[in-house]
Amino acid sequence: MTVVWIVAAVGAYVLATALLVAELLGGWARGGRTGRFVLLAGAVAHAVHLAIEATTGGPRWDISDSLSIAALLLVGAYLAAAWRWRVGSLGAFVAPLALLFVLASSVGRTWPAVPHEVRWAMLPVHVGLNVLGVAAFALAFVAAVAYVLQERQLRRKRFDGPLQRLPALDELDALGVRLVGAGFVLLTGGILTGALWAARRETGAFPISGAQAFAVLAWAIFAAVLALRAAAGWRGRRAAIGTMLGFACAVLVLVGYAMRLQGGGG
Amino acid sequence: MSAMEPSGLVVVGLSHRTAPLDVRERLAVATASLGEELAVLRRCEGVGELVLLSTCNRVELYGAGPEPRALARAFGGYLEARADPDPLEGLTYSYEGRDAVRHCFRVASSLDSMVVGEPQILGQVKEAVTQAARAGTLGTLLGRCFEAAFATAKKVRAQTGIGAGAVSIASVAVELAARIFGSLEARRVLLVGAGEMAESAARALRGRGASLVVVNRNEERAARLAAELGGRAGSFDALGSELTATDVVLVSTASPTWVVTGEMMERVVRARRRRPLFLIDIAVPRNVDPQVGRLDNVFLYDVDDLEDVAAGNRERRRARAEQAERIVDAEVEAFERWRRALVLTPTIVALRERFRATVRAEIERLYAREARSDGPPGRGVEAAVEAIVNKLLHAPTDELRRALAEERSLPLLDALRTLFRLPEGPSGTASDGVEPEVHSGPRPVVREHEPEHESGPRVDPDDVGRAAGRGEP
Repeated sequence: MTVVWIVAAVGAYVLATALLVAELLGGWARGGRTGRFVLLAGAVAHAVHLAIEATTGGPRWDISDSLSIAALLLVGAYLAAAWRWRVGSLGAFVAPLALLFVLASSVGRTWPAVPHEVRWAMLPVHVGLNVLGVAAFALAFVAAVAYVLQERQLRRKRFDGPLQRLPALDELDALGVRLVGAGFVLLTGGILTGALWAARRETGAFPISGAQAFAVLAWAIFAAVLALRAAAGWRGRRAAIGTMLGFACAVLVLVGYAMRLQGGGG
Repeated sequence: MSAMEPSGLVVVGLSHRTAPLDVRERLAVATASLGEELAVLRRCEGVGELVLLSTCNRVELYGAGPEPRALARAFGGYLEARADPDPLEGLTYSYEGRDAVRHCFRVASSLDSMVVGEPQILGQVKEAVTQAARAGTLGTLLGRCFEAAFATAKKVRAQTGIGAGAVSIASVAVELAARIFGSLEARRVLLVGAGEMAESAARALRGRGASLVVVNRNEERAARLAAELGGRAGSFDALGSELTATDVVLVSTASPTWVVTGEMMERVVRARRRRPLFLIDIAVPRNVDPQVGRLDNVFLYDVDDLEDVAAGNRERRRARAEQAERIVDAEVEAFERWRRALVLTPTIVALRERFRATVRAEIERLYAREARSDGPPGRGVEAAVEAIVNKLLHAPTDELRRALAEERSLPLLDALRTLFRLPEGPSGTASDGVEPEVHSGPRPVVREHEPEHESGPRVDPDDVGRAAGRGEP
């Protein structure tokens, strides 16, 4: 039964992607409004799927669940931002990214769940913080990509391309800094709980695996983005590029975990 | 025009395409005077429905009536009278029927505007229609025509995006500022110097909610301009600090050297903590060092850049206009279908009325006969039905016979077969008993019944209609 809901969610995300891309590239305003409505419907179906999964089999606390929840949170955060600010056209990036997360999540279902022997009480907090952080960084990444594209048009002084519906630079910058700030706090919590968990498991030296190194690097980049903004007024393109790099590291963390899981690690 | 034709639509006028500005100015009608002018026009011979559209780019009279030519003459005479003593020869145009509808749709969709795709024209047409409705000169045909024109304009705007992309220097400045800042409310605009183009851009930015500061070497002039544009005057000596606190800068001075230098802007950018700054250099020679445009979060556009953006948008609008013309063509066709259908309505009403009156007369006669008769009721029904059939078919049969004599019966026969869905060939025609009469039989027997003054129970014609299973047209 639960498969019906996730199939419906994926279908809605695909349709929303088409409608929101049509809004961004073709200026089809009605397509955008419909696309956001379809995206909301997809998020509801997605939430129902996750709720059924949690009540029937119990949460797995694995990368598959994490990606799926991150996709849902990304969509939710985007819909809230589009309602609050004039950043609706970011949906053309958000919907396919959410779809990618959901598809990666379904691939991740084949990997082993976190073994019971390594679970502990802080695991849900660790996963929850990371998932929220990833969702925030994903939306910040989308805003950063849109910023770079819009800025490029303004610098080149050419407006004949298809991307004439992107949000204003200042609005993208403001959205980006809010999301990076929130994501940074969440990621800090995620890294701390993760470090404690790993230290407890291995009862030895402070553990740094490849994935964890990328997590620390992502954290450092986001910290730099925020610190330079506060100290030296770094904003706009530099902040956008920093955000994109930070998100790339966060993705590498996920890839690293996925590889470890595929290799049979915990 | 035959009696079967609907009222014709006509438009007579002049526009930026046909008449120079001084002529348009002389003929223009202020919105406040539209009602008065409509009343004057209404008194002209042949004028029925009427809409008067007057903007800075056009003066047009739209009318509908049974004699479009007479209407066009009346409109032409009115325009000539307004232009007196100068003749308008060659400066006006006149469209009738389908061409008039097409012109109306094109005007409302901003395809005939000086700046194709500009949005004001639709509001101006709506205002003209409102005034006509208020003056009582907006009838069914014109009302429907303009309603369809508004729907077409909406469709054109939504499907082609013809209004997208600013095409004047001032609106390009506003559009670019919106790309950088989003909403311009609570943003500050700094106007350095003066000049028509810069003032126009400042006015447009003010119109979007930005506050304005004017600085000029001549402080008196700055104060005057600030008062005129609804801003405040600043000191030219404090240009650096004004730049730090502003978001959009319009520079237009007569200075032969840089007014805004790279060094000055580097300091400003640091002091602003790299908040974005939009600099528009409208001066010729330029007043802003081009190196400024390389600084982070500083966007510098000179007058050529703005003109390039406007020209690109104009070109895109031209391409979209072609798509828009196709939409207009389809909508004109739909409107013409509706207009042709309008011809049918009075004919159908007359036909139904004829049938209803015939049936009603026969039923009244039947009741009168039965009231006098001692026999069982209902004996005269058969005769009454026969009389109804004969009476209804009398005129068409007569006409068919006449057409046969004049060797023009075939189209009528085809029409009859189509209208009554009669089968082809003799078997079908024989079954209803009409065709043989047309070709060879005697004239139909129309029984003249009792005189009209006989009374009997009256039948409500609506009841007859309902009994026959027919509604109102």
